[in-house]
Amino acid sequence: MASRASRYARYLPQEKLEISLFPFLSIFLCVMGVLSFINILSSVSTPQKVQLTMDLEQGYKVAFQIFTLPEGIIVAPSIKRLTDLQGVVDDDSKAILAMIILRRKMMIEQLALGQTEANFGATSPDSEDIRLWMYEIRQINEMALRANFLYEEFVLFGVYPNGGQAYQKVRDVMNSSGDAQSISVGLEPLDSNWSLSLHNQEEP
Amino acid sequence: MKNLINVDSLTDIVSNSVGILIIFAVINLIHDNNKTYELEIPIEHQTDLKPAYIISKDDRLLVMNTDEVFASAAQQASNGAAANKRIFDLKYKGLYAQVEDEQGIAFHARVTDDWPKFTELETTGSELQKQLNKIDPKEYFAYFFVYDETNLGSTAGSGYESFRVARKYLKARRIKSGWQPVNAESPASICSYSDCRYLPSFLASEAP
Repeated sequence: MASRASRYARYLPQEKLEISLFPFLSIFLCVMGVLSFINILSSVSTPQKVQLTMDLEQGYKVAFQIFTLPEGIIVAPSIKRLTDLQGVVDDDSKAILAMIILRRKMMIEQLALGQTEANFGATSPDSEDIRLWMYEIRQINEMALRANFLYEEFVLFGVYPNGGQAYQKVRDVMNSSGDAQSISVGLEPLDSNWSLSLHNQEEP
Repeated sequence: MKNLINVDSLTDIVSNSVGILIIFAVINLIHDNNKTYELEIPIEHQTDLKPAYIISKDDRLLVMNTDEVFASAAQQASNGAAANKRIFDLKYKGLYAQVEDEQGIAFHARVTDDWPKFTELETTGSELQKQLNKIDPKEYFAYFFVYDETNLGSTAGSGYESFRVARKYLKARRIKSGWQPVNAESPASICSYSDCRYLPSFLASEAP
């Protein structure tokens, strides 16, 4: 009898094994939600790189860039074509240019170091520094003119939100500086999520 | 037998969506890292044109009627309201003013609710369009006092976006424009001293 029952049980139709997919679905939905959130967040908050360039105006105008922030200013001078200018000026001018290039390299190094800081290493505008920059720009422009070399530097302001105070301070110093009177000026408003690109500030 | 809903197709759709989102996220990341905007920077130039003053704040624009503004300021000054560098109500579009020896008249934009929004520039025949169209490019250029203070949750100065849009609109009509950032500490000011310079910015190629 028992053997008949066990034989019968062996031939009973087996239940099909069904796996519940709800846990997987739940995980998938969670991942999808998190990814969507990250995607939206990154598109909103990822800083866009802004490379400020001037209109080249026949290719000879070069910007001495000053960015004004609530914390102060950061300066990105150009040295790209100064070495070319060095090749066409007299010996005295060469020595002056060498000094200017050296000073600017130090400023760019400082700027590169400041890139890691929250305020890009912005410092309060110093009147003496501003006057020295204006003096150097005027010297460079005059050297280029004397050597008949197509090169002219101008001051380009990038004004970040709440950077107006620093901008006004620099402009006030420039207005009182005789050297700045012959220097062209450009300015542009920048949004706070636009970060700086030092791409065009490197030596060739 | 347990009745289970067949969710195979749903799982398929969801997993596909996740895959697409991952691809989007990666593309977005790569794209953002490489995106570099090159801005065209016009340079300030000396000009014989006269400035038409515009204040840009809270995404709104106020084209100032200087005749009205100065008439109102003169009236307030004659009443003694402007004495001792006091900030007084100009009774003109929510503007308050302050007369200073060094700065001329400084303007504090306190109530901007009546000013037109810059989005009105997209509407043909809007009041803002009419006001800007009145600027004669042969006689005037637009000079903007742009508020650089940020509103909550904004990444730009409160007047930046409206200034950019208005500048673009004016450029299309060959009207030159210049600007300076202003805020509560450094308000917009109009004066006739040599230090007060209002210059239009444009490219050399646009010079007359």
